[in-house]
Amino acid sequence: MKYEEAVRELESLVEKMGNGDIDIDVLAENLKKAQNLLKMCKDKLTKTEDEIQKLLANVQDSL
Amino acid sequence: MENRHLSLYELNSLVRETLEYELPDEYWVEAELSEAREVGGHCYMELIQKDEHSNTPVAKASAKCWRNTWMLIGPHFERITGQRLHAGMKVLLQVSAQFHENYGFSWIVSDIDPTYTVGDMARKRQEIIRQLKEEGVFDLQKELHIPMFAQHIAVISSANAAGYGDFCNQLANNDYGFQFYTQLFPAIMQGEQVEQSVIAALNQIYEIQAKKPSFDLVVIIRGGGATSDLSGFDTLALAENVANFPLPVITGIGHERDESILDMISCVRVKTPTAAAAFLIDNLAAVYERLENARTAIAHHVSRALDAEQQRLSVISGKIPMLFSVVKTRENARLDRLFTAFSSQMRERIAEARHRLLFIEERTKALDPALLLKRGYSITLHQGKVVRDPKQLKAGDEIETRVEKGTIKSRIEEI
Repeated sequence: MKYEEAVRELESLVEKMGNGDIDIDVLAENLKKAQNLLKMCKDKLTKTEDEIQKLLANVQDSL
Repeated sequence: MENRHLSLYELNSLVRETLEYELPDEYWVEAELSEAREVGGHCYMELIQKDEHSNTPVAKASAKCWRNTWMLIGPHFERITGQRLHAGMKVLLQVSAQFHENYGFSWIVSDIDPTYTVGDMARKRQEIIRQLKEEGVFDLQKELHIPMFAQHIAVISSANAAGYGDFCNQLANNDYGFQFYTQLFPAIMQGEQVEQSVIAALNQIYEIQAKKPSFDLVVIIRGGGATSDLSGFDTLALAENVANFPLPVITGIGHERDESILDMISCVRVKTPTAAAAFLIDNLAAVYERLENARTAIAHHVSRALDAEQQRLSVISGKIPMLFSVVKTRENARLDRLFTAFSSQMRERIAEARHRLLFIEERTKALDPALLLKRGYSITLHQGKVVRDPKQLKAGDEIETRVEKGTIKSRIEEI
């Protein structure tokens, strides 16, 4: 899933929760979903940062 | 007087004696030479005087200078004037009359004044210069520029002249290794035929150049050596020809003294053929230096420009990690906010649900019948069912009355 998609899904979950659209039964399930999305997004940020560092290091070497 | 016939010898003697008596002196005479030649060391001249305007002869005479005199005055004259006697020259001669019975009349030259001739030559030169200036051609060659890459050279010189050989050698063996391409147009470089010969050579060059541009400039050179006759280069026709020539002309005619008219007219004047070669080599060397400087400057500027761009890229790429950090921080904050919102919303929902249940529980509790009983109320049951309406019962029915602390069984007496 793409980063922006994941964030949008998180946002929609929060909204639904706010409106009271989520049943108690599925509360736990949705919490899990939210946690997964959060982790995925944070990991993506970290991974991107690392990749950028690596690429820049390559470019610096060839300059 | 005796009335006898004279012999020819006697007649001639009369003339001789008369002349010896009447014209014993030496006279200085100005005249133009129409002819001059040396034979056996003696100098034979034909003198002439022309009418100033019409150029028709008005007087003629012959003159001789014997060898023992000519041996002294001849070289002296040539040294001072820089020329040998030739036709057209104006001279100042010291002469005495001589009449010989057998050989007839002749003027005998005992001296010649070179300064008169020099003066006349100078006058003629001034006249030529004046005319060239009047024609507006005097400075024409000076307006031409020596080309930057002057390598194709038309040379007017004598093939045998040492000067020509030196010139070519110097060009061929220059220190820089420059290539020059010379073509010789042979000409007679001394005596009376100079004008005609050099003009012919110039015409040849012109014709070739007109068909297909082949030369960058013309060099007219003459070997060093004895300062022999240079008057041939002082003519109007030659000067006009060179002045009007479309290519720059360099003259190296080998004077140490005054410039000849040709030197004044030409684009560049040098003293010797060697100097001419040096001039051409230096010209190319200067251009070469300019090119080298340009090359260095270009390399330098390009190098600097590249360095500047390198710097720019470095700076930009240096900024990227920092910029990304900002993005990352922002996104992390966003995610955290979202999650916090989610969590708190979730907790609220749960709290809400709990409240609902609690409320229900309370309500339920409040509805417990035991509370009623505690307060003194009772529940009446008939056959296990709750009685709300007395009309359901009749006398004699058995009812159960539940009170807080027990049950009372009773029979109805009356409704």
